[in-house]
Amino acid sequence: MVEENKRYKAGILRSLWPHGFNIERYTYTLHRITGVILALYLIAHVFEIFHVALGPAAWQQTLQELGSLGIFEKIGLWIIAGSALYHGANGLRLILNEAFGMLLGKPVLPEYPYMPTSLSRSQKIAIYILTAIVVILWIWAGLYLLEGLGIV
Amino acid sequence: MPGQYSLLKESWNMVLMYALALIMIFVLTFHLLLVSPLTGRTFDETLTYSFVLHNLTYYRIVFGILLYAAVIHGMNGLRIVLIEWLHVRRYQWAVNLLIVVLIAVLLALGTYTLIVL
Repeated sequence: MVEENKRYKAGILRSLWPHGFNIERYTYTLHRITGVILALYLIAHVFEIFHVALGPAAWQQTLQELGSLGIFEKIGLWIIAGSALYHGANGLRLILNEAFGMLLGKPVLPEYPYMPTSLSRSQKIAIYILTAIVVILWIWAGLYLLEGLGIV
Repeated sequence: MPGQYSLLKESWNMVLMYALALIMIFVLTFHLLLVSPLTGRTFDETLTYSFVLHNLTYYRIVFGILLYAAVIHGMNGLRIVLIEWLHVRRYQWAVNLLIVVLIAVLLALGTYTLIVL
């Protein structure tokens, strides 16, 4: 019981570490982390695209500055691509769950050992399938990004 | 249904997030396809000025929808994450203000970019 209390009062950093919880908690944590990455990228991306409106010279300079990061630019874009793929796929699952009530088990009275009915068989299958699709598309995106560097 | 609650309660907030997310699934997929290998170009070739300009002007309305949906969904999501971390009224007020300013700035910059081209 003391251990349980410690776990639930652990604060901000513990909220980013889903160890000890079920798979839904992992998807939730990853959804939040990828969401923050995408939100921060969105701010930078709007400022970046604004340079197109300033003319070809300004856009070229922006590309040169980003290009000076070398492979780190591609790695950054790869992380953002993975974040977008995961956030979108998991977001679609969440919409099916929360807006349409799909993939959820039937509600039951809370009885020990309090297994969440939301984690139904179909829910688990959906999580595994979306993870597999995201990983495949993420590898494909990585190969495409590295193509320009002549690595692939 | 959120209709039983007054406007701007959290439930309406989530309906807005779901609606914008559904819109973004289509328009963001379209945006990503424009910079994908399906265009027959390498990634670096999709960044040339002429190609970016063509996409932004030819698909102006699609990018406009994407801009508004992404900024409102993204910044509201960031707001939700930030205000849940610390339950202090002044902090949450500052976060809300920061997000409103960010939304205004990003929409102004993005709209200007799409209109001026």
